[in-house]
Amino acid sequence: MSWIVRMIVVLPALAALIGLLARRRRAVAAGVAVSVSAYVAVLGLIQWVAPSRSADIDTIGGLPLGDLSVPLHLLSDRVSGLVSFVVALVVLGIQVFTVWYLRDDARYGQFAATVSLFATGMLLLVQSGDLVLMLVGWEIMGWCSWLLIGHDSERAAARRAAYKAFLVTRVADIGMVVGIVALSVRARSTDLMAVLTATGDGTLLTVGLVGVVIGVAGKSGLVPFHDWLPDAMEGPTPASALIHAATMVAAGTYVIARLFTLYAENDTARTLLAVLAAVTMVYAALLALAQTDLKRMLAYSTLSQIAIMLSALAAAPAELGPGAGISHLLGHAFFKALLFLGAGWLSVLAGGTAIVALRGRLRPTGALRWSMGIGLAALAGVPPLVGFFTKDTVIDAALEGATGGGGLRAWLVVVALFVTVVLTAAYCTRAWLLLDTPVAATGELPDTAPAVVAEEDVAVVTTADSADDAEVERVHAHGHATITLSAALVVSVLAALTVVGTLFLASLRGGVHVGLLSALLSLLLLAGGAYAVWFLSDRGRVDVAERIPGRVREPAVRGFGVDTAYVAVGRAVTTVARLVVALDRDVVDAYPRGTAVVARAAGRAGERGHRGVPSLSLLSLLVGVVLVAVLGVTAWR
Amino acid sequence: MKGLTIDYATLLPALVPVAGLVLVLVADLVNPRLRQLPYAIAGVAALGAAVATVPGLALGGGSTRETFCLAGGTSTRGALPSVEGLPQRCLWQADALGSTLQLAAAVAAVVCIALAWPRTRRRRPDDSTREPVEAVLLLAALAGTVVVAASRDVGTWLVALELATLPVIALVALSGRRSAVAGATQLLVTSLVSFALLVLGVALWFAGTGSPFLTPDAALSSGGAFAAAPGTASVAISQASTPVVFPSVSGGVVALATVLIVAGVGFKLSLVPFHAWTPTAYAGSSVPVATFLATVSKVAALAALLVVLRAVAVLGTPAVLSIALLASLSMTLGNVMALRQDDVVRLLAWSTVAQAGWVVLPLVSISALGVGASATYLLTYVVATLVAFSVVAVTLRDRPGRGRSITDYDGLWQRSPWRAGALVLALTSLAGLPPGVIGLVGKITALRPVVAEGWVWLAVVAAVNAVLGVAVYLRWLRAVITERVPEAGPTAGGEDHAVAATTGRRPVVVAGLVLASAVLVVVSVQPDLLLRLLG
Repeated sequence: MSWIVRMIVVLPALAALIGLLARRRRAVAAGVAVSVSAYVAVLGLIQWVAPSRSADIDTIGGLPLGDLSVPLHLLSDRVSGLVSFVVALVVLGIQVFTVWYLRDDARYGQFAATVSLFATGMLLLVQSGDLVLMLVGWEIMGWCSWLLIGHDSERAAARRAAYKAFLVTRVADIGMVVGIVALSVRARSTDLMAVLTATGDGTLLTVGLVGVVIGVAGKSGLVPFHDWLPDAMEGPTPASALIHAATMVAAGTYVIARLFTLYAENDTARTLLAVLAAVTMVYAALLALAQTDLKRMLAYSTLSQIAIMLSALAAAPAELGPGAGISHLLGHAFFKALLFLGAGWLSVLAGGTAIVALRGRLRPTGALRWSMGIGLAALAGVPPLVGFFTKDTVIDAALEGATGGGGLRAWLVVVALFVTVVLTAAYCTRAWLLLDTPVAATGELPDTAPAVVAEEDVAVVTTADSADDAEVERVHAHGHATITLSAALVVSVLAALTVVGTLFLASLRGGVHVGLLSALLSLLLLAGGAYAVWFLSDRGRVDVAERIPGRVREPAVRGFGVDTAYVAVGRAVTTVARLVVALDRDVVDAYPRGTAVVARAAGRAGERGHRGVPSLSLLSLLVGVVLVAVLGVTAWR
Repeated sequence: MKGLTIDYATLLPALVPVAGLVLVLVADLVNPRLRQLPYAIAGVAALGAAVATVPGLALGGGSTRETFCLAGGTSTRGALPSVEGLPQRCLWQADALGSTLQLAAAVAAVVCIALAWPRTRRRRPDDSTREPVEAVLLLAALAGTVVVAASRDVGTWLVALELATLPVIALVALSGRRSAVAGATQLLVTSLVSFALLVLGVALWFAGTGSPFLTPDAALSSGGAFAAAPGTASVAISQASTPVVFPSVSGGVVALATVLIVAGVGFKLSLVPFHAWTPTAYAGSSVPVATFLATVSKVAALAALLVVLRAVAVLGTPAVLSIALLASLSMTLGNVMALRQDDVVRLLAWSTVAQAGWVVLPLVSISALGVGASATYLLTYVVATLVAFSVVAVTLRDRPGRGRSITDYDGLWQRSPWRAGALVLALTSLAGLPPGVIGLVGKITALRPVVAEGWVWLAVVAAVNAVLGVAVYLRWLRAVITERVPEAGPTAGGEDHAVAATTGRRPVVVAGLVLASAVLVVVSVQPDLLLRLLG
């Protein structure tokens, strides 16, 4: 069975290579991308249903690194089987959807190949039983995210967003690498089993776990690294779906879940994780409420949801295991993929992703309307959709942690979770009301003039602009193409999975575990939040976000100038670099340059001493003879 | 002489140039109007000399080809240990090292003769004797060089060294230009003084060792020289002391002799402070003669020096401070001055001074290691310098009057890539940078004895000079590979036309360049070849 595990990793890589070679032939590229991802999904299903439960599947053989053991094994169990199945399923859906979505894009081949490579990275991370392989997968995703976000590379905003994502996650990856090194040094091995069972140096353990949390914070968009994710919406919508639903941002959850037994014993790292997650989930949910763009709203909701997964790992008691976090990861994968692909479909219909442009456009669209409704409801946590079960599993786990001696950390998470439930319900209701209420009902056409004009250097966000401008251009150039059956089917299947996805989680230990009291409480909060928005927006006639004072809302749309802070950090680094260059050039290099000056001066002096006069040369000869004779005889041994 | 055996086959490397010399004179007597014939004969003779050295190259393990041996001449001090059982009484001993130096001199002479090939085929006027004289002088100097490398007694050694020197002075003066005469004068004055030094050194050697042979056992016998021959001047000093002092006094005499010989030969090697003639003489003479000065003369000088130092090596003298001083002074001054030259011949002259420092650098350790390293470095220097001078000669042959200044080489890469490639290889070899691998190997070989003896300060001076040297040669190299600044159109065209009219014949000159470059390429690709030659 171990070949299945290896194939799951290798096949997407091969697909990426072939896709890249055949990028000019659209049909071949699409065929390879879709068929391989379908095959990988089948393999994932097999691995889940009949897991081989092996922790020493060889890959390319161990690395000979002295007394550090680097076996590079793959690890297969039920969790990795389930996660890789869901990842493969989502990737398959996205590949099928992309064939339609990027129908007019000249660089479709590269995009599909990059998606395949991205899937390789995620699947390698999921299957790896070795910290080095984990890091490799992690970095492949980082690089691919740069490629995908910057797909429309002719647009400056897309390039900027790609670089921003890459640089921000790279900076956080410093923590990841330091953490992995610390953990490996402690265990004298990079093998996951050895790392988990190693005993000894507590400081190294803390450094390692905190480092990994920092790395995860970068890729998963925890405060203060969160701002790259909304900007990443500059990428094509399928890329956003891929990054948000099951891969990159969720990968951090998986890494921490794999190391959960270590985290359960280490309060420092867990407290850090709990604080970051709690702050992020509330803050991102608040910002989601204020957004003027559907995709950016979904991005902030992703931040919030990822923080919920991580909070489960931060607060759950040791004996419960990481099941709650993993199950929310999987549930979120379904409904977030659904929402993004639905948003992509809708944007093709409406010609943009700005909420102003999308108002009321959902009403006449049948299946899409249902799908989006299901997706938003699942996001808000309406039973019996998958979102309800996974979120309440997390709440229940956190409550158990809090009552079971988790202390302040777990209570912080619990409170944050309940606040987030209210806010999530609020922004989901707002989105639904805005998308679904016919424009005629609002009485007046929205003002199309941009309310927020972006400054130079700061994230380009306006109320009227779509995050994905290329999409607008595409629609303007080619008209509102009708969706193909397969793409529509993908959205519908994802909607169906969102409804029945809970069944998947039954096999997961601690996957679904809903407490009656907490479920009731969260349902009440949900209903309250939804009702408040419904009431405040006058049954959807006005945007509830309009009631937020402008001087709060404008900076909120821009992410409260975090981008400026990033730029300032970058400027500070380059200033230091310039200082070092100046020091190097003017102080250190002065000595080598000094030798050049001395050599030139000596040459000038020497020229003055050589005038081609025989007497001078005779003089020097005599002096030389005396000198040589005296020195030679006195120093003769 | 009674008991003297002569093996003419062994003497061939020296006999062939001499025979060629006679032949040139005879040919000139028969038909004095042929311009090319003297050079042709000289070239064949030099080639013959090169071929004749080949049997000596394969000698290994201290075996030699010797002749002029004094049979039955048992030593008066037969109790002294003989070194490795060699016959002690031969006036001519050519081992692998000596043969290699002879070969290098002969090949360099072939290239020089090719570079000196006459411009025209026209018959020369009756009153001009330039060509045969030049050919004869070149061959004479070559013969002296070949002999000095194999000589083992002071008489042959001195005469051969002067035979290698005096014709060169005449060669410099031959063109008759004012600058040539100035150069020749300076060369003559310096060479006279240094000859005096050499004779003094040799006399001291004879006084110190009591032997006319420049051999290891002669050096070893220095301890007993005064005891065996009382009544010499030195004994007056030693009589006051106990007999134990004798060896140290005569040891001191041998030391003084060695140092004076180093100083005397240092003039020929253009070591600072005996270097002052070098730039003047190079700039004054024609390019082929300058090439001869830079290559064959240097081989002669080092061969002479090595004959003495190998004899002294047996004394176990660990290192010589004065050689270290000369080496560091030469390297530094040579590089610093070369940095400021715009005339390529003068640049090469100063580069010779700097490289001479590198050549004697390993000799601070008077040992087999130091001697081998020094010879290796000399060979790399000779080959690279030959190529550089050949390129200059070809360029001058192409466009007379243009090719002496560095700016004349601007954009050579575009004009004639092969010539530029040869120059690049030569200059990088001199600088010790890839692709001139052989230069790098030479520098490392030269530094090894220095480091082995623990002369850290000298190694540091050498390293600094290696960097300075890179700057020196890159200055020229930059001109070669950078694009030429376009000149004003009409003047450039007219000039080129005029130049084309006066362009001389060049196939033989180019052949010389090709020969030198081929050797350089071979040793650069396979440095092992050169290292193995010297055992």
